[in-house]
Amino acid sequence: MKKLIIALGIIAPSLLFGQIDRSIVPSPGKAPEINIKDSETFKTSNGITVILSENHKLPRVTFDLVVGPGPLLEGQKAGLSEVAGSLIMSGTSTYSKDELDSKIDYIGARLSADKNSLTLSCLTKHMTTGLKLMSDVLKNANFPESEYTRIVKQYESSLLSAKSDPSQMGQNAIAKANFKNHPYGEVMDESTLKNITLEDVKNFYKSTFTPYNSYLVVVGDITRGEAEKMIESYFADWNGPKFTTPEYNMPTKNAGNRVIFVNKPGAVQSYVQITYPMNIAPGDADQLPLTVLNAVLGGGAFGNRLMQNLREDKAYTYGCRSALSIEKEGSLFLAGGNFRNEVTDSAIVEILKEIEGLTDGYATDTELSSTKSSMAGSFARSLESPNTIARFALNIIRNDLPKDYYQTYLKKLDAVTKDDMLTMAQKYFTPRNCNIIVVGNEAILDKLLPFDADGKIEKLDAFGNEVKDLLPADISADELLAKYVSAVTKTSSTKELAKKMKKVKTVKQTMSITIAQAPFPLESTTLWSAPNGEGSKLGGGGMTFQSTYFNGTTGFESNMQTGKKELTPEQITARNKSIGLYPEANYKTSGMTYELIGIENVAGTPMYVLKLNDGETETYDYFDTKSFLKMKSNKIGKDDEGNPQESTTVYSNYKEVGGLLFPHTLTISFADQSLNGEIKEVLINEGSLEDFK
Amino acid sequence: MKKLILGGFIAISSLSVSAQNKIEFVEYDLPNGIHVILHEEHSTPIVAVTILYHVGSKNEKPNRTGFAHFFEHLLFEGSTNIERGQYDKLVEGNGGALNANTSNDRTFYYELLPSNQLELGLWLESERLLHAKVDTKGIETQRSVVKEEKRQRIDNQPYATFIGEMFKRMFVGHPYNWQPIGSMEDLDAAQEIDYIEFYQTYYVPSNATLSIAGDLDIEQTKKWIDKYFGSIPAGQAINLYRDFENLTAEEFEAKHGVAKSAFDSKNFMASKDPNAKKVIAKAKNTPTTIVRPAAPTTQPTTVVRDVIYDNIQLPGLFMGYRFPSESDPDMYALQMLNEVLSGGASSRINKSLVEKKELATFAFSFAYGLESAGVGIFAAIGANGVSLDDIEKAFDEEVALIQNELISQEEFEKIRNQFENQFISSNASVAGIAENLANSHVYYGSANYVNTELSKYLAVTREDIQRVAKKYLTQDARIILQYLPKEEQK
Repeated sequence: MKKLIIALGIIAPSLLFGQIDRSIVPSPGKAPEINIKDSETFKTSNGITVILSENHKLPRVTFDLVVGPGPLLEGQKAGLSEVAGSLIMSGTSTYSKDELDSKIDYIGARLSADKNSLTLSCLTKHMTTGLKLMSDVLKNANFPESEYTRIVKQYESSLLSAKSDPSQMGQNAIAKANFKNHPYGEVMDESTLKNITLEDVKNFYKSTFTPYNSYLVVVGDITRGEAEKMIESYFADWNGPKFTTPEYNMPTKNAGNRVIFVNKPGAVQSYVQITYPMNIAPGDADQLPLTVLNAVLGGGAFGNRLMQNLREDKAYTYGCRSALSIEKEGSLFLAGGNFRNEVTDSAIVEILKEIEGLTDGYATDTELSSTKSSMAGSFARSLESPNTIARFALNIIRNDLPKDYYQTYLKKLDAVTKDDMLTMAQKYFTPRNCNIIVVGNEAILDKLLPFDADGKIEKLDAFGNEVKDLLPADISADELLAKYVSAVTKTSSTKELAKKMKKVKTVKQTMSITIAQAPFPLESTTLWSAPNGEGSKLGGGGMTFQSTYFNGTTGFESNMQTGKKELTPEQITARNKSIGLYPEANYKTSGMTYELIGIENVAGTPMYVLKLNDGETETYDYFDTKSFLKMKSNKIGKDDEGNPQESTTVYSNYKEVGGLLFPHTLTISFADQSLNGEIKEVLINEGSLEDFK
Repeated sequence: MKKLILGGFIAISSLSVSAQNKIEFVEYDLPNGIHVILHEEHSTPIVAVTILYHVGSKNEKPNRTGFAHFFEHLLFEGSTNIERGQYDKLVEGNGGALNANTSNDRTFYYELLPSNQLELGLWLESERLLHAKVDTKGIETQRSVVKEEKRQRIDNQPYATFIGEMFKRMFVGHPYNWQPIGSMEDLDAAQEIDYIEFYQTYYVPSNATLSIAGDLDIEQTKKWIDKYFGSIPAGQAINLYRDFENLTAEEFEAKHGVAKSAFDSKNFMASKDPNAKKVIAKAKNTPTTIVRPAAPTTQPTTVVRDVIYDNIQLPGLFMGYRFPSESDPDMYALQMLNEVLSGGASSRINKSLVEKKELATFAFSFAYGLESAGVGIFAAIGANGVSLDDIEKAFDEEVALIQNELISQEEFEKIRNQFENQFISSNASVAGIAENLANSHVYYGSANYVNTELSKYLAVTREDIQRVAKKYLTQDARIILQYLPKEEQK
């Protein structure tokens, strides 16, 4: 069998062909000068920063308005900004949606909106009509109820179809895995979509689509004079409130590699991304050398290490690439591709090896010079589009870059050395602190186990939510509640229970709490008073930090930062759904919504999971399937600003006091904190609720 | 390397520009038959070097589907003078970008380069044409890569098989009934003889269009083209030369009747041996014949209905009508008809199926034009809980409406304006211009079609649109495919 199929070099190939020596690679002519055309920037009286990039090659023009404070935490309403963005083009007080759509199409223009922009592009001759429509949307969008209902239904359907799209599922998992408690880590799902109201949408629009800190990027066949005139006519009377730009904690890396798996039934390929957050902001001096390094690893072109190894050598994939996402709010490294099921694990091995390889030694001279040429070429090509010039100007302003950042780009690129790249690799390439995201067929799951540092693969659903492998429960919710109450009260009938509880008027518990960050232990006292009163105090070092009081009809919450606040009618209604020392005994009649959703395996112990909702807080209570004692409670409520707040309490060390069982060790965790509580004392029928008033 | 394109999807974006933005160009044929088109403009110091080979999946044998695209991958492996893996590096390391794509009708390669590297681009493409080289490792690697491409683009994507399923039923017995990506079995079956035959038949000067646009000097460019492409042997002489490079002495002599040693390996075409001269002269004057498949003659005569179960959550409906070829005069009216139905938010299908009746999350139509036939496709992804029968009914109502009533004057003006905008935007980059010029030459018989196309659209009347709606949207002869979630399969 011949080795060479098409050209078999049995005799020396004829290098010469006619008068040409074909073996000689033509040498380049004189390098062309790269000119970056200037853009102009000016500010309007109502605060819009205008960036103008003139280009008269084609008779068309684009107006791109960028607004708002950037990404916001949306919590239980994740997806709000996206839904709002989809509704902006739903009509104005001047035109219905149908009229608006046909007016835009009539001039062959495009006018589109999303959560933080409104963009018009049209032929120059239709500019006035286009701008009239654009400014109408900007000032008079009116969000009709019918469109809101329709768009929500559309999202319901598209959330369904996201469940069969591997890259969509992968993107969601990447967001959730890397960005905890960060807007980039929020993903709309069926439950958050339900929480988004039309009022929320209108409020979002009002606070985001405002001239304050907004940018109008004008590109194309228009002069400075015309631009000023147009902006004066259509945007000068646009007004709106100021806003503050929130800051977020930069996400942190894992201690070891985590494997995160999303099941896609029937998948013939795995979508793989090896990813972790990076601490680098746009314009950082490291950005350019790091970008060169990433290009050698797997950025952009065909000639990089990932592509050459995983495609050209091993043929595992159609494409394997790496990327850097460097944003003001948070940055990310990504490397991956789509690989057939059988080679998914081998592909992960090779990607990790290539990342590690660059931390171990220098890139070759050829890699360095060829990558620099490739990046310089791509920079030059990008200048063909007039949008590039405008984008440069916008980046400079929004990211506080030096004014000559792009003018000197090629010079800075040329100065990058192999030493710089090794330094960057050692600083930013961390192949042992990755989130390894795999969307694929469950059949390959076992092969992924060796990559996970703690040997536990996390499973997420299509929207990046944890998948709990639930088994159906073998008893009903009411049976579970009865068994729990019977276990903690050590009674065996409702009659016996009623008799025993009749004697208990108050229960006072004192708990000592240790927090890593606090210099001294804190003490918490809670008192329950029949039939439905409760008081609590938390303090330490002679001070009370917070206290609560509720007597069954009124009450308050008080803490050092916000002072005393009376309970709202909603809070009182919610509290009255938990009546008694063991409210579980009364759920049937108190109006609490409850549902036994199944049996979950929690760290090796099967537990019943009971879902509760009192209208204010959603709670998941976990009960041991043998002892029926409550082992864990996971509450999802809201803080004072309506942001979601999740806390988990783990109960253990149940001890008997006065014939009743009380957990004596509690571990409470919320946000990034975790604290340990030890019950020091349980007193029955001592103390008074009035002590907490 | 590269990717597949669906010919029809690009129809709209590759339209030309209005009179005020005339695209200037020069064109000529080299003596060996290569057609050259040059467009000079200096706004950015870059140049696009493109070459179109008039071969696509429709030229494949029925048991070698996917071969044209697979072969495109192989042609990045190198040449007599370019080692495996160096093709990419030569382009990217010199500041360029490269890729290629294969459709049912053509294979298109391109390099985007800094303008001082134009000569490099010409050399690279001339090497690919004259004497590409592939070894076993390259073949096996690209075979797997193409299969991964198929999994990624088609098999693992919801609904992505619909074009293939549609064409299979639309073009029974014609090579359009398979897709450029082909089948896994056929990719596995490819043999050495297939590569040689394909290369020697389709990768010859007379089947190539070299289109170059950007920051270039026409006279200098012509000189370089002469040097690298003008020297490529005409007719069968190119294959004689390839045999000279590839065959053993015995094989060569057995095939051509003259010993290899009679030829001058340094200057092949100027070999002095009288027998060699004779063979060369004969080969030069023997044109390469390409037997092109005739246009498909069959078409659906009834309603063909099928259900396809896929890994999806929402059901989808895909309907297909037989349309004429992309260069058929009726195609202008059909494209405008499609714009009425599916162009922009105010289009009839979006307003009716998505917004008013809320039957679909996404609904559209397109006029998919290929070189020798076309398909009119109506597609919708159902909203949650909606039946596909209701979607079909809603589509049918739109078809009936446009067949029975002239579109309004206002709607007519609207689509004309939409076309004008699309034309002007389609020639924004030199790469786009080079490709549009090549397509115009190959499919419409004249590169200047880029400058006359808009006028053909603007000549369409409202009556024309109604006429083609009646003629081609044949309710009693079409394909209707229902895509349903696999869980519903009994």
